[in-house]
Amino acid sequence: MRMMLETHLRQAATVLLESAIRIAPPDTRDWGRAMAGELNYVEGPWAAVMWAAGGASVLAKQALASLFLPGRRGQGMVPDGGLFAKNASLRKAALVIGGACVLAALLFFAAPPFRQAFQVALKPWSFMFRMASGNIQPGITTLAKQAEMRHDPEGLAFCAVRLQDAHESARLAEEAVRLDPNLLWVYAIVAMRHPKLREISSWVEKLKRWDPQNALFHLITAESIVRAHFPLGVWAPPNQEQEQAWRSAMAAAFRSPKFDDYLDRVAEINRKVVPRYRFYDPYEVESRMQLDLPAPALESSERFALSLLHSGQELEARGELKGAREKYWAVARYGQVIDFQGHTEFEHWAGTYLQAMAYKPLKALSEKEGNSAEAALFGYLAAKFDPVKGEHASVPKESAFGLDTSRRNAAVVEISGLMILIFSGLVVIATSILIAGSRRSAGPTAQRAKPVATIVVLTSAVGLLFSSVTLYLTYRPYWYIFQSAILNGDRVQTRDLREFLISTQRLPGVPPRLYLLLDALLYSGSPSFLFYVWTGVTLLGVIGLALILLRHFLGRPRTNAPP
Amino acid sequence: MERPADWRYGYELSRETGLKSGTLYPILMRLEKYTLLEARWVTTEDGVPPRHTYRLTPNGLELARNKLAEARPRSMVRQPAFCSG
Repeated sequence: MRMMLETHLRQAATVLLESAIRIAPPDTRDWGRAMAGELNYVEGPWAAVMWAAGGASVLAKQALASLFLPGRRGQGMVPDGGLFAKNASLRKAALVIGGACVLAALLFFAAPPFRQAFQVALKPWSFMFRMASGNIQPGITTLAKQAEMRHDPEGLAFCAVRLQDAHESARLAEEAVRLDPNLLWVYAIVAMRHPKLREISSWVEKLKRWDPQNALFHLITAESIVRAHFPLGVWAPPNQEQEQAWRSAMAAAFRSPKFDDYLDRVAEINRKVVPRYRFYDPYEVESRMQLDLPAPALESSERFALSLLHSGQELEARGELKGAREKYWAVARYGQVIDFQGHTEFEHWAGTYLQAMAYKPLKALSEKEGNSAEAALFGYLAAKFDPVKGEHASVPKESAFGLDTSRRNAAVVEISGLMILIFSGLVVIATSILIAGSRRSAGPTAQRAKPVATIVVLTSAVGLLFSSVTLYLTYRPYWYIFQSAILNGDRVQTRDLREFLISTQRLPGVPPRLYLLLDALLYSGSPSFLFYVWTGVTLLGVIGLALILLRHFLGRPRTNAPP
Repeated sequence: MERPADWRYGYELSRETGLKSGTLYPILMRLEKYTLLEARWVTTEDGVPPRHTYRLTPNGLELARNKLAEARPRSMVRQPAFCSG
């Protein structure tokens, strides 16, 4: 058994060396055969393998050098720095390959999709640090300053509908409307995003005069009243006056023949402002597009719809069928308006849900009245719009790529971006070591570090190029979706882009529970917590790397000491 | 250096110097390139591949002697104060 193992090991060593001889340049093949000739005399099978491995590495290096430095073919043995120095041409070949890889990786930055991909890839990491700085939307803040300097109402409107700072958002909205009164709709978006603003009541009055039939303003009023019940984050029961104000706002919304959330106007502003300021940040432009829109107000809609249906049932019980029918129809009609005129998937879903709520009692009422044809129609509509089994039950609808694909792509993009940073850092450090070691005054430590630094430059440069290619190829489809949405208004696949962008806001591999903990700590009055965590992690990494390098270079025994 | 006329095998040199094949052969290749070393093939027995043998040329021998002479004073300076030598 042992003999067999030894035989196999020696055969493996022979095959390894013969393979290396095949790829070696012609002028070094004789040397390969010389090493192969000695293989029969090396004592011990493992020693033979090591002998073959050493010989193969020499031949492979020669092959590499002749491949990338063809002009140096046959001159690979020129002593550069002494007869016993490491082969300089091999180091140069490695540096040429490394330099080519770094150059190719840098060329990717000339491509707009790659620049955007890199920005997206670093978003979750930079977000951690920006949270501590207090300015979580630096891009929008800068753009707002530029728009103010240019007196550009569309630029101001673009920023106002996105800023998370409620007061600054209100200020920009008022400035935008002052410069261009046609932008009055901006008030509606800002009011939906920041329902606690004091300006809302005066804005709503202006909006009602501007677009009198829109249900949206009544929903905004109702939402402001609801939010007023959470003065310090704790529910405060509404008084009778507030309850009455809420009911009258909702009743007006249910009577309105129109619902416009102005998202088409926001998209129009995007198309103008994004190219004008070259603000190609998909997070700010796209991912927040539909957040904070009137979804909370639609909860009020459900509550008011239930109260209407309850009133209808009471009327029905008292035999007032006509009055009951009016109540049920009010809910169904409001649902139709929201469903047909809304822009977001949630609005369509809420509209059909409200319709289903109304069609069920309408069906029962028609049956009670003996109108079987009408009962059948309402039964069909109730089944069609059923939130669990109906045609609209699959909300949120599946995107074209699928959520799993978006999450996987997000993780690939985040890791690629991080690896680009790490590899770039390694290339810079190793290149600095090489430059320091190349000086005449360089000490023995710097000289000893040169081979390791060369390997680091080569491997890091290859890694940099690979990460860049991966990042570019993974993100490119999302770049096309973003461009189509911004330039052509094509919103077919924006859901894929939003899912992807939301996924990239989570660090890959971090469990959701940890995020809950981090969020809890972040919002518990310690805004700089994450900053310190990430700064600490980064510093520890740098210190660890420095210690490893110091130990490697200072603790290495001298092998070239003269006899 | 003690027997400069002798032909030596690569594995033999490796054992004497403690250098591995990946380090030794590039040095041998460079020495041969600059005609400081001469090499030849020898057949030892039938069926066994021939072996490469080496020895320093007169130029190589002279260079080696010079290098040793340069290295000796430095190694003496480096000796500790309470060294037996």
